[in-house]
Amino acid sequence: MALITRQIPRIFIQATQGAAVRSIHNSTISNSPVLAQRPDTRVTATLIPGDGVGPDLVYSVQEVFKAAGVPVDWESYFFSEVNPTLSAPLEDVAKSISKNRVALKGILATPDYSHTGELQTLNMKLRNELDLYANVVHVKSLPGVKCRHSNIDCVIIREQTEGEYSALEHESVPGVVECLKIVTAKKSQRIAKFAFDYAVKNNRKKVTAVHKANIMKLGDGLFLRSCEEMAKLYPKIEFEKMIVDNCTMQMVSKPQQFDVMVTPNLYGNIVDNLASGLVGGAGVVSGSSYSADCVVFEPGARHTFSEAVGKNVANPTAMLLCASKLLRHVNLTVYSDMVRNAVEKVLQDGKVRTKDIGGQNSTQEFTYAVISNLELPKA
Amino acid sequence: MALRFVQQCPIKWASKLARAQSTLSAFEIQHKTPLIKKQSPIPIAMYGGRHAVTMLPGGGIGPELMEYVREVFKYAGAPVDFEVIDIDPRSEESDAFDYAITSIKRNGVGIKGNIETKSESAAITSRNVALRNELDLFVNILHCKSFPGVPARQKDIDIVIIRQNTEGEYAMLEHESVDGVVESMKIVTESNSDRVARYAFEFAKRTGRKKITTIHKANIMKLSDGLFLETSKKIAKEYPEIEHNDMIIDNCCMQLVSKPHQFDVMIMTNLYGSIVSNVLCGLIGGAGILSGKNYGDHYAIFEPGTRNTGTAIAGKNIANPLAMLNASVDMLNHLGHKEHADLIMNAMLKTVSEDHLLTPDLGGSASSTEIVQKIIDHILQADIRPW
Repeated sequence: MALITRQIPRIFIQATQGAAVRSIHNSTISNSPVLAQRPDTRVTATLIPGDGVGPDLVYSVQEVFKAAGVPVDWESYFFSEVNPTLSAPLEDVAKSISKNRVALKGILATPDYSHTGELQTLNMKLRNELDLYANVVHVKSLPGVKCRHSNIDCVIIREQTEGEYSALEHESVPGVVECLKIVTAKKSQRIAKFAFDYAVKNNRKKVTAVHKANIMKLGDGLFLRSCEEMAKLYPKIEFEKMIVDNCTMQMVSKPQQFDVMVTPNLYGNIVDNLASGLVGGAGVVSGSSYSADCVVFEPGARHTFSEAVGKNVANPTAMLLCASKLLRHVNLTVYSDMVRNAVEKVLQDGKVRTKDIGGQNSTQEFTYAVISNLELPKA
Repeated sequence: MALRFVQQCPIKWASKLARAQSTLSAFEIQHKTPLIKKQSPIPIAMYGGRHAVTMLPGGGIGPELMEYVREVFKYAGAPVDFEVIDIDPRSEESDAFDYAITSIKRNGVGIKGNIETKSESAAITSRNVALRNELDLFVNILHCKSFPGVPARQKDIDIVIIRQNTEGEYAMLEHESVDGVVESMKIVTESNSDRVARYAFEFAKRTGRKKITTIHKANIMKLSDGLFLETSKKIAKEYPEIEHNDMIIDNCCMQLVSKPHQFDVMIMTNLYGSIVSNVLCGLIGGAGILSGKNYGDHYAIFEPGTRNTGTAIAGKNIANPLAMLNASVDMLNHLGHKEHADLIMNAMLKTVSEDHLLTPDLGGSASSTEIVQKIIDHILQADIRPW
C-alpha cells in the first residue's frame, strides 16, 4: 500500500511533465544508507492547517513528504477562530503540541471585531497556553525570486506574549478607550537572551534591538535596558539599537545592514511583514515560534489569503520551507536538505512559478515540480 | 533540573544585590565581593526543547574526545547545541578563558576536557581550579561504578565520591614568608562544609543510598578537618535514616584497595577527593572510563572523572572515548533527556560487554574510532529514535 501511494505522485508528474522525470521516489528508502538504517523510527508532529489557503499549503507539504518518504506522522487538528463550531478545543491542540514538541501550523484568521467581547484572539490564546514567547522569522532572498533588493539575510526575533498584545483594553469613560501595553523585565530579558543565543548558535555577528524608547521611556526603556544588560554577556556579538521608525526606513533602503533583530511585539509584527515584502511576500517567508519546550513552525508573514481559497494559486514555498525547518529541528537533516534543495531548485529554474512571484502556475503544479526535483544529497 | 536551580532565586541575596547593583557590574558582584557570591539567575538557554551547552575541549586528547561526543550526539539525535570555545594553553592572556566562563553562565551547563595551564609562573592560577571557583561549583561527584566487560581488579564496585571542590588545599594561597620557608594555606569554612554535607545527604536520600562516610585527617589537622568532620556529623543528625561514619584518609585508602565494597557514599575535602577518586578509578579500570560532575547553585559542568589531559596519547587514535561519552550521558540526564542518555549508555554497554571492543588502556586493541563507530552502529540499530 505504501508503495502504491508513493507511486501516485509519480504518475501525476509524468502526466504533467512528460518524460523528464527522475525515478527516485520508489527507491528513496533503499538507496540511502543513512535513511535505510532506521526504517521504523518515526516522528509525530501536530498539524494545524489553519484558515484561508492553509489547507492547500499543508496538502502540498504532505504530498512532498510522501514522495520523499519522510518518516513523519501528523496529528491533524482543525483549529479556527472564524469557524468556532468546527474548531478543536484549545486544550486538545495545546496538549498535542506539548506532547509532540513540534507542530506545523497555517495561519489563523482573526476577525476585526469581537462578537463575544473576548479580547484575546485564538492565536494569542495558543501562544499564551504554550508560552510560545519567541517568534523567529528568517528573511532571506531566495534564488530566482525577483525583488528590489538582493542578498537580504536577516532574522527578526519578536517577543509575542506581552506588549501591545496583552489584550488589556477598556473604556473608562464613554468615548475614551485605554489600551495597556505591558513590558516586563523577565520577558524582555528572556527574549534578549533568546536573540543573542540564536546569534551565537547560527554564527551571526550583530544583534539590533528595535525600540521606541525615546517616546515610551519606561515601557520600551525597560526592553532596551534588558537588551543592553544581556549584550554584556556576549562580548563577541555586536549590539546596536535602532528606533523603530528609522528601522523601517533603513529596512526598505538598505536591508542588507541587518543581521539579527530583536523587537517587542507590535514592532516585530510590522517589521516582519515589511521585511517579508522585500523578499517576495507572504508566500515565501517561513517562521517559527519557540517556547522552552516546543516549536511551532508557521509562515513568517501572517496572512490567510482567503480570497484565493479554491483557486489553486497560493504559493506553498513558505510552508515547504517551514516543513524543512521542522525536519531539521527533529534531527532529520537529510530530509530537511532534500526538501529545501528541491524548493530552491524549482525557484532557481524559474520554469514553474506561482502568480505572486510572477508566474502562471498553480499550487499543484508547483508542488509536483518540487517533488520531481527531490534529490538525495550526495554522501 | 537546571531549570530548578535557576528558578530557585536566592531571595536572601536579592536585597544585597539590589544595593550593590548601582555601582558594580554583574561580574564584579559575583567575583569581587566575598559576601555576595551569587548573581541573579540568567534565563535558561533552552529553546524548543533544544539546549545550548558550552563545550571546552581543553588540551591533550580533549579535542578528539569532543569530536566523538558530537558525532555520537548527531546520530542519537540528542537535542543539544554546543558552543565550542577553544582555550590556548600556552597563552597567558585570559580572554578566551573569561569568555568561556561567561558562556557557561549564559548556558548554565558545560562539558569540558582538562584545560591545561602551561605557565608555571606563580601569577597564573590553574584554569581548572579558577573555573570551579569563578562559577562556585562547590561539589564534585564521581560515581565509581564497575563497567561490565572491563577487566578490573575489583568487581561490582558502586561508590559515590562527593568532594568539596572550591576550597581546602586548592585555595591557592601560598607564599614564602622568609627565604626557604613556604606556607600553603588550607582553607575550610563552615558554610562550604555545610553545603557539601547537605548535598551529600540529600543526594543519598534522593538516590536511596544507605551510608555516608566522611573522609578526613582530623587526628592531625584538628581544626580544619575537625571543622569539616563536625559539620558533617551535625548534618547527619538531621538524616537519621542514613547511616553515617567517618574514616581517616590513610586508613580509607587501605580499605579501598582491600575491601572497597564496604563504602557507599563518601564525602571529603578537596585534596583527599582527588586522591581517592584516582585510587578508585585505578581499581575499576583506569582513567578512561569514569565521568565526574561539578555542581554549583546555578551551573553544572561535566568532565571525565580523573582530570588527566592524556597529552602523551593525543592524536594516536588510542584514547578511550568512554569517559567523555559517560560525561555526556551525565549531561543529558542532567538536562532531562533521559531517553537519549539511555540510548547512548546502552550502546556503550553493548560495545564493551558484548562486542568486547576495548582500547589499549583496558587491555584491548581497538582504536578510538572503531569503538565510536560501533557505538553509533548500536544507536542506529536501536528501535527507538527519540529526537
